[in-house]
Amino acid sequence: MTVSVFVFSLLGAMAIGMPIAYALLVCGLALMWFMAATGALPAFDSQILAQRFVDGADNFPLLAVPFFLLAGEFMNAGGLSRRIVNLATAWVGHFRGGLGYVAVMAAIIMASLSGSAVADTAALAALLIPMMKRAGYEVNRSAGLISAGGIIAPVIPPSIGMIVFGVAGNVSITKLFLAGIVPGILMGLAIGVTWWWIAKRDDIRPAPRVAMKQRLKITVEGFWALALPVVILGGMKMGVFTPTEAAVVAAVYSFVVGMFIYRELKVRELYGLILAAGKTTAVVMFLVAAAMVSAWLITVANIPGEVVKLLEPFLDNKTLLMFIMMVLVVVIGTALDFTPTVLILTPVLMPVVLKAGIDPVYFGVMFIMNNAIGLITPPVGTVLNVVSGVARISLDDAFKGVMPFFLAQLAVLFLLVLFPDIVLVPLKFLMQ
Amino acid sequence: QFADRTIKFTNGVNEDHPVGVGVKKMQEILAAKTGGKMKINAFWGGSAGNDLQATQALRAGTQEMVCTSSSPLVGIVKELGVFDLPFLFANEKEADAVLDGPAGVYFNKKLEEAGLVNLAYWENGFRNLTNSKRPVAKVEDFEGVKVRVMQNNIFLDTFKTLGTNAVPMAFPEVFTALETKTIDGQENPFVTIETSKFNEVQKYLSVTRHAYTPFLVLYSKKLWDQLSPQEQSVLREAAIEGQKVQRIANRQLNEKSLASLKAKGMVVNDVTPAEQARMFAKVQPVYAKNVPTIGADAVNQVLDALKKARGK
Amino acid sequence: MKKPVDLFFKLLELLVVVSLVAMVIMVFGNVVLRYAFNSGILVSEEMSRYCFIWLTYIGAMIAMRERGHLGVDTLVKHLPRLGKKVCLFISEALMLLCNVLFFVGTWKMHELQVTNVSPVVGISMIWIYGIGYVVAAVMALFNLHVLWRLVSGRITEDELVQVVESEDMPHGDLTDTEALLKDGVRP
Ligand code: NA
Ligand code: NA
Repeated sequence: MTVSVFVFSLLGAMAIGMPIAYALLVCGLALMWFMAATGALPAFDSQILAQRFVDGADNFPLLAVPFFLLAGEFMNAGGLSRRIVNLATAWVGHFRGGLGYVAVMAAIIMASLSGSAVADTAALAALLIPMMKRAGYEVNRSAGLISAGGIIAPVIPPSIGMIVFGVAGNVSITKLFLAGIVPGILMGLAIGVTWWWIAKRDDIRPAPRVAMKQRLKITVEGFWALALPVVILGGMKMGVFTPTEAAVVAAVYSFVVGMFIYRELKVRELYGLILAAGKTTAVVMFLVAAAMVSAWLITVANIPGEVVKLLEPFLDNKTLLMFIMMVLVVVIGTALDFTPTVLILTPVLMPVVLKAGIDPVYFGVMFIMNNAIGLITPPVGTVLNVVSGVARISLDDAFKGVMPFFLAQLAVLFLLVLFPDIVLVPLKFLMQ
Repeated sequence: QFADRTIKFTNGVNEDHPVGVGVKKMQEILAAKTGGKMKINAFWGGSAGNDLQATQALRAGTQEMVCTSSSPLVGIVKELGVFDLPFLFANEKEADAVLDGPAGVYFNKKLEEAGLVNLAYWENGFRNLTNSKRPVAKVEDFEGVKVRVMQNNIFLDTFKTLGTNAVPMAFPEVFTALETKTIDGQENPFVTIETSKFNEVQKYLSVTRHAYTPFLVLYSKKLWDQLSPQEQSVLREAAIEGQKVQRIANRQLNEKSLASLKAKGMVVNDVTPAEQARMFAKVQPVYAKNVPTIGADAVNQVLDALKKARGK
Repeated sequence: MKKPVDLFFKLLELLVVVSLVAMVIMVFGNVVLRYAFNSGILVSEEMSRYCFIWLTYIGAMIAMRERGHLGVDTLVKHLPRLGKKVCLFISEALMLLCNVLFFVGTWKMHELQVTNVSPVVGISMIWIYGIGYVVAAVMALFNLHVLWRLVSGRITEDELVQVVESEDMPHGDLTDTEALLKDGVRP
């Protein structure tokens, strides 16, 4: 019964176009009212809303969110992103369908620099799609490839999605970060292979080969951008800083490189860039804070217990349970954006995961990967929206273009459902 | 005279902590004495908010119960800072004598003024230091060790004064930070050290017993006043019965945890009474600095009770 | 009326920037001090969290004005004008209710926060939780404004949907290919 109050109040409030943050508050109020009426709470009390709402934003690990967003702003404005694309072009541009491999390689490198799929994809699309158009690539395919490449960002560390999940689900963020590396690279390989198959069939003209001397020069130029993931992961592994602090290091690092080494960051731009990162943070965190209000009421109303009971028959079969949960997330991911899905589902699914004995880090990586894939499924596919905007094509065309890559990444996801060791064994190795 | 009530009781610790034994006892007593009318619905591991948030909810009257250590509450009842003072109690017997005597009543009154009814003092216990650098046997060994402490001024002061670099850090970040050696050490009771698996990332365990923290079993004053006298007395009785088993379980489990930490390969060292006295001497400035903020009255209450307990 | 409101939001923007810069300085400063000098800023952990809370709520007011909060407009988009109006009315009324409760709840907890001081810095927590007054009041004014425009028939077509579907839609010149390619990408 409480489950239906939860589901209907939340879906109803979202359906009429309320901001999801307020929909979560309305859902919390509905649960509160229901529990007060049935005696599970002493009274319907506005203090619950006021206290839990502000408490929800009071969380040190989440400081990584504004810091990584800030790093992303500095990277795009400071010329780091552009140098990554140059670098990839110099090395793999001359193969058949070479700009496609450029996109895949640049996407993987960018993923290891940035925590957000949309910012990555926007930069990649703006840089690469005009080049691909000029070289005669079919625009729908190009847009599709870049969309599929962009969603690797939240899977390979750093990842804002993993931080939000780690905080909401009480899972080690360092472990999530390390566990995401292999699946992220697999996603890249999958779309690379798919592209190879398409390029062979379509016989696309390659870009001219770049001379070795020039290549080395471009690589040296890109060194400072390439060093960032080494600094982030190395620093965390060596104990110089925690994941939260890694984010601030990334922001300061990309600021210094953009400002003093590449000299593309202008002082007059800074205010706007910081403000942009601050505003995006506020939108994410307002939602997080509101989700903490409903999460408290969800917990107190014992909804996780009811869901565990519902899934009881599947608790013995981890693979089947994972399969069911992943299908559920794919379906929800079509209609809901990344962060809200993470925030709404984590408090409900984590007790199930723990009860069934599924490794929470493994689940987290799969969950984030699945949500990332949701960014390219219509009707709400933010990454797809951005790319179709930059490429000036319709969302339908973009989805047609992304279809083969989407299927390839879905295949990777379900491969990992069948063989969790592909995630867990490298994690064990990396944790040593 | 008993109404149907489901009491929300939140805990920062996990259910396998000795607090779980105490809560279970309370549930049994309530079931037996109220014919199953009053029930405790317990939440574990901070799943329903951290201890300070829960305490504020108690004061607001939106939640019934919490079991919290005294330290996070210092911002609300400053007198509780006494229990953060270093090397105050020498053993559990002294702690019991003080808490179950007039000094305990004194703090209960302070808590009540803040809207909190303390049903009983349970036990978190003596805190000990672990680190990855060296055994800490004398006061000089603290020098330069990076130790995570709670976000609490007296603890920060104590560890700074002892010569460590005191790092305030949220508990969920501690394991990873120890693992990657961002910090060298942390301090907690044996049980917490074992249940948090700190032995996997820490080599040395030094039995410093530098602070004793009680757990408070708090009830919302606002909601308490709505209970009938019978309901109140059965709750008090349950909390006292819970105290007995919780303290025993806590002491047994601490011994067991220490043995198991040894067995798992931690290098354990004791601190001799002479060295402990040197440490106590070194932290005197912490007392001088913090007694005025805590309130001399509160400190004297405890010191007087201690004198009595020590038979002087 | 327009001018003071614009000025107010310019001030809020400034506060967002100041909070974020302060957070960077405190957290980064702590890393440097701990690693290089084996020391640290004790207030850093606590104060950066408080800046974060301020940033969140101040930024949320700006986002509300710019209709930048996340929502699902898929269903509403396909409704006829009247349907959109009905949904908007219910949605704004419910938000108003939330904001009123947020304000009242903050008021009821006022004394509890005044008598709770932060563990390290020692400031009264009303400075943190009191943000509820400002946010709830400003957001409620937005709701009343939209409701009034709706009832008086002044509402425009694009005001009928008040949300966006994703938080980090690229802003400014990120989608401006020319700007990104200012130095040209080498083919
Ligand atoms: Na990433
Ligand atoms: Na989608």
